[in-house]
Amino acid sequence: MSAMKMYQAPRTLEEVMRAAGETGATIFAGGTDLMPRWSKEIVPRPAAVVDIKAIEGLSGIEVTDGEICIGACTLMSGLDESAALRRAAPILAEAASRIACPQIRNRATLGGNLCNASPAADTAVPLIALDAVVDVAAPGRAGATSREVSITDFFQGPGKTALEPGEVLTRVRFKRPAAVATWAWEKFGTRPAMEIAVASVGVIVEASDGVIERARVAYGSVAPTPLRGHGAEAALVGRRLTDETIGGCVAAARGEISPISDVRASAGYRREMVGVMLRRMLEDARGG
Amino acid sequence: MREVVEKVDLAFEVNGDSVRLAVSPDATLAEALRDDLELNGTKTGCEEGECGACSVLLDGKVVNSCLVLALECGGKSVVTIEGLAREGRLHPMQEAFVNHGAIQCGYCSPGMIMTAYALRLENASPTEAEVRRALEGNLCRCTGYRKIIDAVLSLNNGESRHD
Amino acid sequence: MIKTSGDTGTVNKRGTDQESLIGGRIPKLDAPEKAVGLTRYLDDIKLPRMLYGKILYADRPHARVVDIDTSPAAAMYGVRAVITAADIELVRFGFGSDNTALKGEKVTCIRDEIAAVAADTPEIAGEAVKRIRVTYEDLPVVATIEEALASGAPVIHEGAPNNVPFRFDYDHGDIDEGVSQSDVIVEDTFSSQRVAHCCLGTSGLIAHFGPDGRLTLHSLTQVPFLYKHDLSRIVGVPPEKIRVIQPPIGGGFGSKLDVHPFEPICVFLARATGRPVRMVFTREEEFFATPTRQPMVIQLRSGAKRDGTFTFRDVRMTLDNGGRTSWGATTPWISMRTFSSLYRVPHVRQHVDVIYTNNIYACAFRGYGNPQATFALESQIDKLAHELGMDPLDIRLKNAQEPGETTGQGMVLGTCGLADCLKTAAHNAGWDVKHSGPQKPVGKSRRVRGLGMASLFHVGGGAKIYRSDGCGTILQIDDFGGVTVQTGASEIGQGSETVIAQIVAEELGLPIENIRVVNNDSDLKPWDVGVHASRTTFIAGNSALRAARQAKGKLLVAAAEKLNREPDELDLAKGNVVDRETGEPIESIGKVLRGMHFGRKNEMIQATEFYEPPSKMPDEGHKGDISACYAFGTHVAEVEVDLDTGVVRVLGISAAHDVGRVINQLGIEGQIEGGIAQGIGYTLTEEVKVEGGRVVNPSFTDYKLVTTHEVPELKLEFIETHDPAGPHGAKGVAEAPLVPVAPAIANAVYNATGVRMTDLPLTPERVLAKLNESREAERGATDG
Repeated sequence: MSAMKMYQAPRTLEEVMRAAGETGATIFAGGTDLMPRWSKEIVPRPAAVVDIKAIEGLSGIEVTDGEICIGACTLMSGLDESAALRRAAPILAEAASRIACPQIRNRATLGGNLCNASPAADTAVPLIALDAVVDVAAPGRAGATSREVSITDFFQGPGKTALEPGEVLTRVRFKRPAAVATWAWEKFGTRPAMEIAVASVGVIVEASDGVIERARVAYGSVAPTPLRGHGAEAALVGRRLTDETIGGCVAAARGEISPISDVRASAGYRREMVGVMLRRMLEDARGG
Repeated sequence: MREVVEKVDLAFEVNGDSVRLAVSPDATLAEALRDDLELNGTKTGCEEGECGACSVLLDGKVVNSCLVLALECGGKSVVTIEGLAREGRLHPMQEAFVNHGAIQCGYCSPGMIMTAYALRLENASPTEAEVRRALEGNLCRCTGYRKIIDAVLSLNNGESRHD
Repeated sequence: MIKTSGDTGTVNKRGTDQESLIGGRIPKLDAPEKAVGLTRYLDDIKLPRMLYGKILYADRPHARVVDIDTSPAAAMYGVRAVITAADIELVRFGFGSDNTALKGEKVTCIRDEIAAVAADTPEIAGEAVKRIRVTYEDLPVVATIEEALASGAPVIHEGAPNNVPFRFDYDHGDIDEGVSQSDVIVEDTFSSQRVAHCCLGTSGLIAHFGPDGRLTLHSLTQVPFLYKHDLSRIVGVPPEKIRVIQPPIGGGFGSKLDVHPFEPICVFLARATGRPVRMVFTREEEFFATPTRQPMVIQLRSGAKRDGTFTFRDVRMTLDNGGRTSWGATTPWISMRTFSSLYRVPHVRQHVDVIYTNNIYACAFRGYGNPQATFALESQIDKLAHELGMDPLDIRLKNAQEPGETTGQGMVLGTCGLADCLKTAAHNAGWDVKHSGPQKPVGKSRRVRGLGMASLFHVGGGAKIYRSDGCGTILQIDDFGGVTVQTGASEIGQGSETVIAQIVAEELGLPIENIRVVNNDSDLKPWDVGVHASRTTFIAGNSALRAARQAKGKLLVAAAEKLNREPDELDLAKGNVVDRETGEPIESIGKVLRGMHFGRKNEMIQATEFYEPPSKMPDEGHKGDISACYAFGTHVAEVEVDLDTGVVRVLGISAAHDVGRVINQLGIEGQIEGGIAQGIGYTLTEEVKVEGGRVVNPSFTDYKLVTTHEVPELKLEFIETHDPAGPHGAKGVAEAPLVPVAPAIANAVYNATGVRMTDLPLTPERVLAKLNESREAERGATDG
């Protein structure tokens, strides 16, 4: 039997960390993932929650020439509607725009999507492709300290992150992709909306004279965590986007994912769909 | 279960009126509206954000009130289906739903109307694709959505598809 | 008071620009209240001192109940009653008499109700049921039909030692003769899945005993009078002491045609506590603890002559009945009407085996057994056409019945618009251009398009499955021309209230605003069999029309007397008594009414009618003219199939329905559009998945209803055959639009890809597997 006895919405990170550290309060942002889990008793209702949305500086998107920095409490609708993000890193705006529905996008936060550590987290795949890092605030003797964790290290398993008790994800940062980079992100599901991805793929490639110089590939819903596709990347770099290259990349992708069969799809179908999505993205990128 | 816990004061604005309530920390906005304020027009169809029946506006944005803690709404403004009609006259969106046959059993209608209302606050003349996207989180089992989409589109330039 | 300003040109009301209300676009009378959020559904109703009920389910598919310890629950503060099977009289109910409200000895499916609690709050009740300790002895789980029929299979109910509680047989003609007449014979096995009604408002009940022992129920039932009768026996309250109040409901679709165990349980809790008890299901309960559509396996063999004439159909159906029996087991009764009578066919045989398993069970759902049967039959008709090299439209036209024919099952088709439906739907879909020829990928993509068609046959004038299929009306007119119509018919969101008001207003020459329909209280309304079988417009409409005609007759006699005219020289229009010839208003109806009431005779106008349709109960061989008329329709679907992913997208549906006559254009479009959307979900995405007896997707997250994005372009056309038995010529329509959607889509997938899908739903994964299979077969053929 559990009851939530306390709701706090402090204005400083120190108060959040104190609450999280001392009373074991659950950090709460959009609540769109937490609240259904409480009501369905997948996780017990916590005795206390600490809402971080009122903390200054945790919301908003800063786009500079070199870097993009997004506060953890930035809403999915904020990512979707940000013209600056659409220009600078459309792959992330696109993924955010395809999450659930407007009601959820108006509540769900970027930080929440990452901290839930679902293998299907829609924003994780583009962030991996963008080589993002997250800033984590940790309680320290003289106020909050901050550490940086790469997005791939952040995900430790289904529902598991690199966050220690009392730590708070504050920001997500990544370098602005080169203007020449081509990107693609797609998620596969049964319906156009309200879907948890059966599989998703994100790709960013930079080419010079038709030769790929840099590639990032990432997958969702096909491993215990959102996954970076090192093998698929290696199959692209230094090559032209020929049929052979694409075939090699798809084969590498199929080999490096480890999907499971569940109520939404079989492992085999997930593997197949990753291949189809990746192939189509690369063919589109080739423009042929 | 929830133990008997101390209720906490909540002051916010509902449909333009200042409201003070004492709510449990774990009460949802939907519960506060329905149980404490008897604003039963807000329906609950799934209590996990999948059906949209509980849609209301929170500071002008459409949200699922089943996924908002009541205490989060302190100092904020909430608009429910009861807040749209003025002086005994239906809001044009409500009227469009009635006249286009967009309501059958009616259980999804308040949430559907609030979501459509929120869309038009931001986009006075949405395309059909924009209407479909705006309403993608509102399930309806009776109408097949066609008449709902038509109702919303009919408010563009005050015209109806069937005219 | 809320009023619509009526500024839109789409609304036709009497006295504005259209003479007749019949066929107009009339907004539902209950819509304004629903639009402003003032309608009070069951979960909005609180009675003084009301308690909240909650059920403990077995949560295991097959087990013996060894012991139940309710004391930890009973000890909780706020718990007012805890009941188990030991506390109630166990009366068997349901079509198979294999269910009881609570189960005390044996569990046969996960949703079996074991105990229940009434408490001060829903939260306390929820916690209390969790504290009840039940000791079970698990039994081997029978998860499939095959396991149930295996030798030495565990026996699920003692009454059916072979796990086959029911077998049904039907035949007309002689199959052997049909086979010998055939130039082509095809045979396939089709399967269809469990789908959930997904009413947006979940199931529930408020039960409440008065000090006089009278039981009042706020119930969502679609069949209040049958319900009262059935429930009476289960809870031991005489029917005359039961009052059924029907608040507006958040969707029905057939889900509320049976007494479900939670209903007597709620009554027992009310009795145990002496207080009103409300029970409202969570969405999760709605998914696992309410019955679904009946899943079916259908082996179908059928034949045709070289010219396309159908010769025979031989059907074998196997039903996974689950662990208990609701109406699901009887759905083949409707399937057989489709096999026997959709198109002309001289020789038909249907054998049905209903098999107990430890799965959840099924009940009625829009279309009953018809969508399953039509999926199999119309898919196979397509195949016959292909085998014969005929256009699928031509083979259907060749076998479409004409008005006046009697089908092999004894159903008399007084009016029949099937051929018109076929031609119209095909024409509107561009059949000639789009269907023929090999389908080409769309642009450079890996997507191909195709067209497919399917028709339907369904009852359109009620269905006499009980000794009465009637409906009563009590009509009264006040001194001012206000009319109160008490109808037996129930409003479940489908718009029956509006149709009845239209019919009465039309007959009495009054504005529709003058008509009040009372339809939600069994103490007030006359008998009706209930909302099922697409019968309400036809049966309740006829009843209301006849009552209104009586009232009109009385009014005209009184007016004639007052005006020194003959009644047949007068008519009623726009609130006035008018000259029949010229239409000139003579006197207002209100004035005539007041003259009657306060004049010499002191009369008021009241009329009663009990309309019983001229249909017959089927004989023991299931034959007979069960309905007063029959509905037909054809859908043509256009789809796009992604050859790499297996995703099927419905681009458009062209539907033509023989509806007799349109009463409310707005309402009938809503029924067709809604039915099509449910049909698309049934075909492509919806499935209650059950593994080892357990529902593994009990939420809208993983039970995929269609959303706004998937509604395709719709072209609807109504074929008006003006059935002489129908009110203003109307037939029933509610179930029809769902019925042919699945085969129309599946046939379109075939047209696009050459792959025939025989299992519903057509999930991307399933379609891709079939596509790969056929590619491999092709490759094999080329290699060989």
